[in-house]
Amino acid sequence: MRIELTVNGVDSACEVEPRLTLAEVLRDELGLTGTHLGCEHGVCGACTVIVDGRAARSCLLLAGQADGSVVETIEGLVTDGRFHPVQEAMRDHHGFQCAFCAPGFIMTTKALLDADPYPTMVTVREELSGNLCRCTGYASILAAVESLVTRPTVANAGTDESADDA
Amino acid sequence: MREGLAGRFVGASVRRVEDARLLAGRGRFVDDIQLPGLLHAAFVRSPHPHAAIRSVDVAAARRVAGVEAVFTGADIAELSNPYVPMMALPGLYEPSFHALAIDRVRHVGDPVAVVIAASRRVAEDAAGLVEVDYEPLAAVATIGQALESSRPAIWPKAGSNVLFTATQTYGDAEIDAVFADADRVVTERFRQHRIANQPMETRGIVVEVGDDGRVVLHAATQSAHAYKWLQSMLVPRRRLRDSVRDLVENRTPLKKFLRGAKDFLSANPGLKDANKATGPTMLRQMLADPARALQMQRSMIGMLATDTDERAEVRVPDIGGAFGSKTTVPREDIAIHAVARHLGRSVKWIEDRNENLMSGGHGREEQVELSFALRTDGTLLGIKAAITLDAGAYPGVPFSAPMFTAMIKVMIPGPYRVPAMRFDSRAVASNKGTYVPYRGPWAVETWVRERMWDVCADALGIGRDEIRLRNLIDPAELPTPMLTGPMLDVRMSAKRTFTEAMARADLAGWPAAQAAAQAEGRWVGLGFATYHEPAPGPPDYFDHVMPGMGAMVGGEPAQMTLNDDGNITIYTQQVPHGQSHETTMAQVAADRLGVPIDAITMVWGDTTRTPFGLLGTGGSRAAGMAGGVVTKAAGELRERILDVAAGLIEAAREDLTISNGQVHVVGVPARGIGLAEVAAEVHRRGPSSGAGAGGEARIRPGEAIRVSCSFDGGVGGWSQATHVCWVEIDPDTGVVSIPRYLVVEDCGELINPAIVDGQVRGGVAQGIGQVLYERAAYDVETGQFRAGTFMDYLIPTCMEIPPIEIHHVFTPAEVEANYRGVGEGGMIAAPAALTNAIEDALRHRGVRITESYLPPSRILELAGVTTT
Repeated sequence: MRIELTVNGVDSACEVEPRLTLAEVLRDELGLTGTHLGCEHGVCGACTVIVDGRAARSCLLLAGQADGSVVETIEGLVTDGRFHPVQEAMRDHHGFQCAFCAPGFIMTTKALLDADPYPTMVTVREELSGNLCRCTGYASILAAVESLVTRPTVANAGTDESADDA
Repeated sequence: MREGLAGRFVGASVRRVEDARLLAGRGRFVDDIQLPGLLHAAFVRSPHPHAAIRSVDVAAARRVAGVEAVFTGADIAELSNPYVPMMALPGLYEPSFHALAIDRVRHVGDPVAVVIAASRRVAEDAAGLVEVDYEPLAAVATIGQALESSRPAIWPKAGSNVLFTATQTYGDAEIDAVFADADRVVTERFRQHRIANQPMETRGIVVEVGDDGRVVLHAATQSAHAYKWLQSMLVPRRRLRDSVRDLVENRTPLKKFLRGAKDFLSANPGLKDANKATGPTMLRQMLADPARALQMQRSMIGMLATDTDERAEVRVPDIGGAFGSKTTVPREDIAIHAVARHLGRSVKWIEDRNENLMSGGHGREEQVELSFALRTDGTLLGIKAAITLDAGAYPGVPFSAPMFTAMIKVMIPGPYRVPAMRFDSRAVASNKGTYVPYRGPWAVETWVRERMWDVCADALGIGRDEIRLRNLIDPAELPTPMLTGPMLDVRMSAKRTFTEAMARADLAGWPAAQAAAQAEGRWVGLGFATYHEPAPGPPDYFDHVMPGMGAMVGGEPAQMTLNDDGNITIYTQQVPHGQSHETTMAQVAADRLGVPIDAITMVWGDTTRTPFGLLGTGGSRAAGMAGGVVTKAAGELRERILDVAAGLIEAAREDLTISNGQVHVVGVPARGIGLAEVAAEVHRRGPSSGAGAGGEARIRPGEAIRVSCSFDGGVGGWSQATHVCWVEIDPDTGVVSIPRYLVVEDCGELINPAIVDGQVRGGVAQGIGQVLYERAAYDVETGQFRAGTFMDYLIPTCMEIPPIEIHHVFTPAEVEANYRGVGEGGMIAAPAALTNAIEDALRHRGVRITESYLPPSRILELAGVTTT
């Protein structure tokens, strides 16, 4: 079947088997390997992307279901070599270690803050509880998000520090 | 923190170098590798815990469109050599085995056949069509069943399911006499359950076969070099008879290998003695099973007949966590390598989560009978410990389970005075996934010892803190050897972490606080635990585990270059997979050299470019060993730079320094020269002036100076901590919550505090997961695996892990690099502190905790709220 997607602002169309998941199309057809597959059964959240403004598990969503959607992935967050504020906060707070789960956490956080820039930390915890991290014990990830929801700079795109070679 | 500015980096929470790619989604993990014409693999796995294979029919699978080939276990055995694990432990039988099962399956998930196809989904479709006819056998699902002689031996040549037994006594006094003379003997039996490492990235490999036939293994492994040589032994370049002919006709590869071996021997002079220690044991193992000796010879011949440039090289991509599981060389990786060579095509295998839970490696599962002989005042006189470890079906290679019983033995005295001990070890085979090292694999010693102190305190009617304080080794007694051999240096500060933790926890105020809560009907408890760990331990630490092993492990090598552009490159055998070495090692080198962090890059995981070492990253060794050797190499490189710069600046060498990447006269930073100028001067002086002494560090294009160093770690090398855990248990639901968790630790000087704290918290989180949520469960009756998804095997989320409060203490010392590891400690102490707290909360119900898996249902049973 033929599907059309807008991924990170770029329109693309591809011919896919109906059984392909959105994750497989992103990774294998479009070469966007920043979206990771951790469990492929919808528990770990590593594959989280944003579909039409909402966080979604790309391992459970068939590509066909996403036909016509606007999809955001981790690759779309860096603009002009600058990290998105969520990425910047995660770096400032040493959010991750192996960082295999990082794209999923970052996209979940972005979807949450796009919908509500100042959620309570109770809400943040609930929203992030759908993403598993095996390395950190979560404190560093939560601290990074807390820094975003308690000071009013989240709306400013970018910061004054560049993302190096990102 | 601005990384571009020079200054003192060690001690600062410098932002991670790795994050520039990893947070941008530009990491390159093994599944991210795409190659033209890449084929994909799926394994057919046993649904039975134990069965004979009557037949394997792959005809239907071969007919599926897009399938390139299907290989059975027998096919793979034609293309590869069997694993011949050989730990030099007396009393051990280790079976040899092939990459895929041939005539018998030994656990649920045992690979039986592999399908190679144009895509993973087609390979999986076809794998479903492979017909395997099984004849089920009785399964061994528990340690108890492994000890029953009526159950079939999983490895018939072993004669039973007991693969290893050993007894060792320590101390001047005869242990039975010590026990006979004691005021009290307290005995308890403990059981620790089976868990799984479960990194977020499963296992996987891409075997890249070039047009010229050269093979590159893109493998997620914790040690690139050990992995390379095991692959080289197990996947021969050509058939045995061709190898023999080649060996006779062309001596070059053999000579090259022997030259390399000679270099390695001369760099590690202890190896000769090591061979004396291990030789007789290995010989006895060979004689006990001559077929193994032949198999070993076969793999050696294949390896020796292979010329250097025909050998597969390893290039490790970014790794999504391992926690010990990726030290083991997977059987699947051997099969994929063999198949790719046979087909002359590049092949990718990416494991799914169900496979990883079944076959990706399990940790722990021991049963321990422990007796403490005590004086009435709590003074410990002696220990008797008998441990049985469930090794699963197939031995892990290169580190099989029996070695870890020896580490448990060495570490069980902990930071306490123990005058005498008898330690009985046993390892059994079962129809379960392979035992692999998991974050502090010896941790059961801390769990049972720290549980036991609480039990003994109860028995003697003295405080839980008091009994520990009576036996903890005091700083004034240091240095002193542990009863089991390793030397404790003056920095072994477990007692200090203990007293500070007790003060911070207000232990004195706890009885009143607990009584007040109980009066309100609340079940609250407090528990604590103390340990020290080899991180890396003294240079001879491993010799106390297994005689001869210290030299095999060797020192930590590193090379460092000044490049023509003035930047610095570190070459390491470490294989970081979440520990942030690209940041921490750059911090260490930057301070020593006087350059900014962003002038430094690290090369790792590539066997063509990194120095040889067998351990890679593991065992909490990187901070001490790699931090030490990088300090040393940076010091040497700095000297070499100053030698050259003295001529350029026309100043006395001793007046020069380097800061912010400029060499200048002390106090006159404005008139400095850059390191690129120093590099240019090296080239002007001639081609050989940049090479390090000994000639092994040859200069390559783009480099001006290259130094090569090795470091043995020096004395001590211990990390230590005390953990305190508070719990509250809901009497209605049995749910355990953790309102507070405190760690007081000493790992020496902190290279990067945020990274240290992250390691500690991550370890504690896994320890909490182990006790409250995680279990690699097998059905006791059938041996069927019961934890095949993340809805059965519960990884804690951010709702479950409490805030973890960390305090650091630091023991100064006259050593150049006072760094020690912290990767494992969190997980070593957390299960002990948490289970001790749970018993404290349930003490009023008369509960004794002797098991490690305590989900709500079990808590309610133990508390007598529900019945078993």
